[in-house]
Amino acid sequence: MVCAIGIAGAQSYDVSSIPEMLRKDAAVVVRQENQVFEVEGLKKGRLVYKLVLTVLNKAGDRHAEMAVVYDRFSPVSDIKATLYDAAGSPVRKYKKADIEDQSLVADYSIYEDTRVKYLRFLSTNYPYTIEYSYVQEFDGFLTLPSWRPISSFEMAVEASTFTLRCDPSYAFKQLQANVAVSDSAIVNGKKVLTWSSTQLPAFAHEPLSAGLDNLVPWVTLSPTAFEYDKSTGRMGNWNELGAWAYSLSEGTDVLSPADKARIQALIKDAPTDRDKIMRLYDYLQENTRYVSVQLGIGGFRPIAAEKVAQVGYGDCKGLSNYMKGMLQQAGIESHLVMIASGRPGLNPRYASVGQANHMILCVPTANDTLFLECTSPHYPMGYVGSSNAGRPVLLVTAGGGELAATPEYTAEDNFQRRHIQVRLDEQTGATVHITTAYGHAQFEGALGMMLTEPVEQRKRMVEGLGIPGMSLGEYRYVQADKQKPVITEEINLTSNQLISKGGDRLFLTLNLLNRREHIPTTLPNRKTDFKLEFQYTDEDEVVYELPSGYQVAHLPAAVAITTDFGTYSATFTYTGNTITYHRKQQMNSRRFAAGRYGDYVEFCKQVYQADKQKAVLTTSSGDKDI
Amino acid sequence: MIPKTLLNLGAMCIFFLVVLPANAQDKDGMKREFKFGKVQPSEFALIPFAADTGATGLTLFDVGSCDFRLDNNGFVYVFERHVRYKVLNKNGLDLGNLEVPVFKGSSSSGKERISSMQGATYNLVGDKVVVTKPKKDAEFSETFDKDFVLRKMALPNVKEGSIVEFFYRIESDLIFTLRGWRFQSDLPALWSEYTVSIPEFFQYKVNLNGEELVKRGPTTTVNATYVPGVSSMAQNTRFVAENIPALKDEPFVTTLDDYRAQVEFELQGTHFPNDMYRDYTGTWPKIIQALKADENFGKYMAKRGYIRSLTPDLLRLNDGDTLAAVERIYHFVQSQVKWDKSYWRYTTYTNPKQLFEKKTGNSADINLALVGLLQEAGISAYPVLVSTRSNGAHPGYPIISKFNNVVALALVGDTSYLLDATDLDLPMGMLTFSNLSRQGFLCDLAHEEGQWISTSPTFSGESRYNYILSLEEDNTLHGKLVYSTLGYEGWRRRSGYRLFNGDTDYIKDYCEDKPGLTVSSCSFKNLDTLNLPFIESMDIVIEDHVEESGDLVYFSPLLFERTKENPFKHEARNFPVDMGYPMKETYRMLVNFPENYAVEQLPKGVLYVLPEERGSFRISLIGEGKQLLVMSTISLTKPVYTPEEYHELRELFKIVVERQAEQIVFKKN
Repeated sequence: MVCAIGIAGAQSYDVSSIPEMLRKDAAVVVRQENQVFEVEGLKKGRLVYKLVLTVLNKAGDRHAEMAVVYDRFSPVSDIKATLYDAAGSPVRKYKKADIEDQSLVADYSIYEDTRVKYLRFLSTNYPYTIEYSYVQEFDGFLTLPSWRPISSFEMAVEASTFTLRCDPSYAFKQLQANVAVSDSAIVNGKKVLTWSSTQLPAFAHEPLSAGLDNLVPWVTLSPTAFEYDKSTGRMGNWNELGAWAYSLSEGTDVLSPADKARIQALIKDAPTDRDKIMRLYDYLQENTRYVSVQLGIGGFRPIAAEKVAQVGYGDCKGLSNYMKGMLQQAGIESHLVMIASGRPGLNPRYASVGQANHMILCVPTANDTLFLECTSPHYPMGYVGSSNAGRPVLLVTAGGGELAATPEYTAEDNFQRRHIQVRLDEQTGATVHITTAYGHAQFEGALGMMLTEPVEQRKRMVEGLGIPGMSLGEYRYVQADKQKPVITEEINLTSNQLISKGGDRLFLTLNLLNRREHIPTTLPNRKTDFKLEFQYTDEDEVVYELPSGYQVAHLPAAVAITTDFGTYSATFTYTGNTITYHRKQQMNSRRFAAGRYGDYVEFCKQVYQADKQKAVLTTSSGDKDI
Repeated sequence: MIPKTLLNLGAMCIFFLVVLPANAQDKDGMKREFKFGKVQPSEFALIPFAADTGATGLTLFDVGSCDFRLDNNGFVYVFERHVRYKVLNKNGLDLGNLEVPVFKGSSSSGKERISSMQGATYNLVGDKVVVTKPKKDAEFSETFDKDFVLRKMALPNVKEGSIVEFFYRIESDLIFTLRGWRFQSDLPALWSEYTVSIPEFFQYKVNLNGEELVKRGPTTTVNATYVPGVSSMAQNTRFVAENIPALKDEPFVTTLDDYRAQVEFELQGTHFPNDMYRDYTGTWPKIIQALKADENFGKYMAKRGYIRSLTPDLLRLNDGDTLAAVERIYHFVQSQVKWDKSYWRYTTYTNPKQLFEKKTGNSADINLALVGLLQEAGISAYPVLVSTRSNGAHPGYPIISKFNNVVALALVGDTSYLLDATDLDLPMGMLTFSNLSRQGFLCDLAHEEGQWISTSPTFSGESRYNYILSLEEDNTLHGKLVYSTLGYEGWRRRSGYRLFNGDTDYIKDYCEDKPGLTVSSCSFKNLDTLNLPFIESMDIVIEDHVEESGDLVYFSPLLFERTKENPFKHEARNFPVDMGYPMKETYRMLVNFPENYAVEQLPKGVLYVLPEERGSFRISLIGEGKQLLVMSTISLTKPVYTPEEYHELRELFKIVVERQAEQIVFKKN
């Protein structure tokens, strides 16, 4: 009898059986997750997956979905899905017709062969439990499943296991953390590895988080040798992976005789290699556009350069490879570069497909090494964008993969330098002239504005500047040197609400445009490290010319803060009838231990306080509106 | 009921520098001929003028036609589109990519197929026009889902200054609504025309928006042949627009489509040889008859077997208390089924039983089941067809296809209640914001008649902030905030509250954009009592708000509720300001301050009222002893303001921003 209850209990999805410690901070609880991957040779793999998950409240609804991504090499079958109520009684069993089958084409692509089997579970009442399972067969695979029982904040886990079965001779690499290394056993002639976790409590959401990776268990695996869409290769290390990528691109950079002739004409009389590169890069920017098509191995192999030349478009691989082909005609060697754009760079010690998501081109020159982003029609030559800067990358060379790094854009590079001249007048209000120079990462935002259609541009500016009572006048954007990632913005405006009244005094917030308006939430017991994503230097100078008859009754004291998060200074001077405000903030991009978060909040708080400081003015002429 | 504010657009004076050259043009300016592949060098010089000079591209022409042909299964319409763009700058390079959604459907639902798709790129090299045509590998067919295929094409050699051209033809069984035509897009256009040729056997209703921009030519009768050897007639109508400005978005509108020059068609009736004239949708009674007979509307509602099997208490009118019964039944449906977030005027199921078994459904499944339940209980209840805000305003005359949603109406005595059971937090009588499109069509299926009714909200969105604070000598504020929200604001805050994983998370988020605020404890009242205000009470401390310089201590009394910027920022306004519902924000703060503080001169109060009380702002500051009372009220009494009234709103908020910014100054001694 006891035994029988025990079995019933183990299989029950009754929500009341979830221990209290797993409910704390949780929106969802993984009741049971089983992932089994069977390697049946390089060309054949089989995934059997099952998840039972309880959604405790509305905040967990976003997890109540099944989304299985597949393509023609990885069909999905045997999908089963059921919705249970809080007591664990089935509410609805889903039928095949309930599962949606949709194309999954990234918004930057015109065509891909990836699809998704999708189901959203909808329940009126909370809590509820969802269950689904499926089988996925792989006809060749470049990656192995990874395992991450806690995949987000507010998720607790009762039990989760991952089993890998393969031939004892099957080689793969693994990275893992916070979980015991699986003992491998030989069962029925197969090597069996199992990782499992039970009773993992949830983490509450934390702002600026660097992620849960060093707190929760995870395993990621990668094959050493593979077969995929009629291509075979090895990726035991980055050199091998690069060699495979090279073999795919080999011979695709050949150009037609007509193209060759055109290139020769273009580079004729170019005095230096740099000039040649510049002319060819300019030609690329003027004559191609980004069109992405990803089909099977085509997701890794560039379209032939000759074809790109013919149609004038390609994806990142196609355009980079076309540029490579053109450079070759100019006698300049270059390498395709596999890069992780907009996410952490490649792990130098762990080679796998999927870390890189983009391709650029590397041109080693005598003095320095140039990296070219070939999908942008606007970037200056050698500017790769902040999402590609300062990270480990893989050069695809004839000798295989070579690790390298893209140049880092420092806090000084990513600048915003602003000068504002404000003339305050009793009759007409304030006349404001703003000149701002934006560099590197901050140049990208200004570039976006510069390229915006004028009516929309004006609209955005009116909505974005945040100056009360503003009337926008003339403005312009200028990129003085097309070869430099620097844009200057000039704005003229007037406002009659810069000064606020209070009794018989006037208050003037001196930091006109660059105030910190937000302090991160205080967390008494932060668990995850935090990350400042962006390094930059902002320098603002605002000069206020006061009308005659105005006196400064009070000017704030200078502020200077130095921390390892960044530095901040603000000074206030009053000479003649002029107040000059100067502010400089320089921030570092780094990861910080959770324990430092309180210091960071304090830093932000000090900046917030310093930024809203006001000059107190008095006037001999009495109550006037400015 | 369609706001005809396009008049303003018409007055915007858009001219183009160069007129289209070389193409044949008839006397009344209604007809021009454009041949695929024939591009003149002079076309490369065409540029837009005035407001659209910075456009990414220019539509040189966009010409469409809709004709009919008879195939084995009956009539199909044949839609053709021929469009030519000039790429003005690099942001317009994507004009070289075409995407056409085609309904693949099934033999029962009807289907579409694309029978021709062509494209070409033209570049001016010297004074020669160089043509490049795409190869087969530049065409793609993406099976988007079970209903739609996306046919795509990427043109070669598209650069700044290129001209690109597309032609495609779609054949469709879905003749109830023909493909409409948008004369206006986010690009300026020199010429846009659409010709429909309707066989004598069909009659269509035409819904034309933007008559200021679009010329409708006379309908002419022409000979046509649908059955070989049999001569028939067809009615041709041509719609033409010339020099059409780009349509530009504005904040606070229902949908930009309400202001777009476009035309739509819906089948009204048929008259086949040897058959009488059949009116499908010519009049409202015809439309209602059809709905009544529809499996996914009237017949669905009429199926009561499952409803009768429900507990009799649910449907019993205890002591004739109809209101209580409506409330009970409404709440029952709200709590039993989850809306799948799709709006439609027809159900997906054929019997309410399926809805209550599967526990989810679309808006029609849910609200028609609700009507069925109410009627079964003996309550007068009706479906009300609605076009949601994003679907665009209904033109008013009998057109069924312009409705995309259905809600319910229950009559209790002389009072009617609009009901929408798709949202658990929606009080009885309130429609969701998406449905606030001013009017709905009530369908009385029993009597086969109907009428337009106003769906203008009887609720407003109201927020009341009530602070009781004391200012300490360290310049922190301590005390209590009671924040009550009613009507649409209450609905918004309740729904928002439920998205969080508990109170701690909710408060964390509440403080997120309020620097200096700490909430030490909080409580919530009436979360589930939807007809009462949602009340959030918090014990609070505010740091970093009161500033000090020398012997002066000052702060802005509106705390976190200060309107820092005018929400109506733009000087010009073309379209009505449609906020859906009236709003009111009341702010009250009582603050005690230390003995050694003395209030300097307090800011003056103000009362500013818009003409006909369309809106108002009042602020008053009163000091007595060591206590200050600050009150501020902003009220907008209408859900919709005309473009002319926009300027009043802008002026009102200019005063709000200025007056709410005024500081309270204490002198310390």
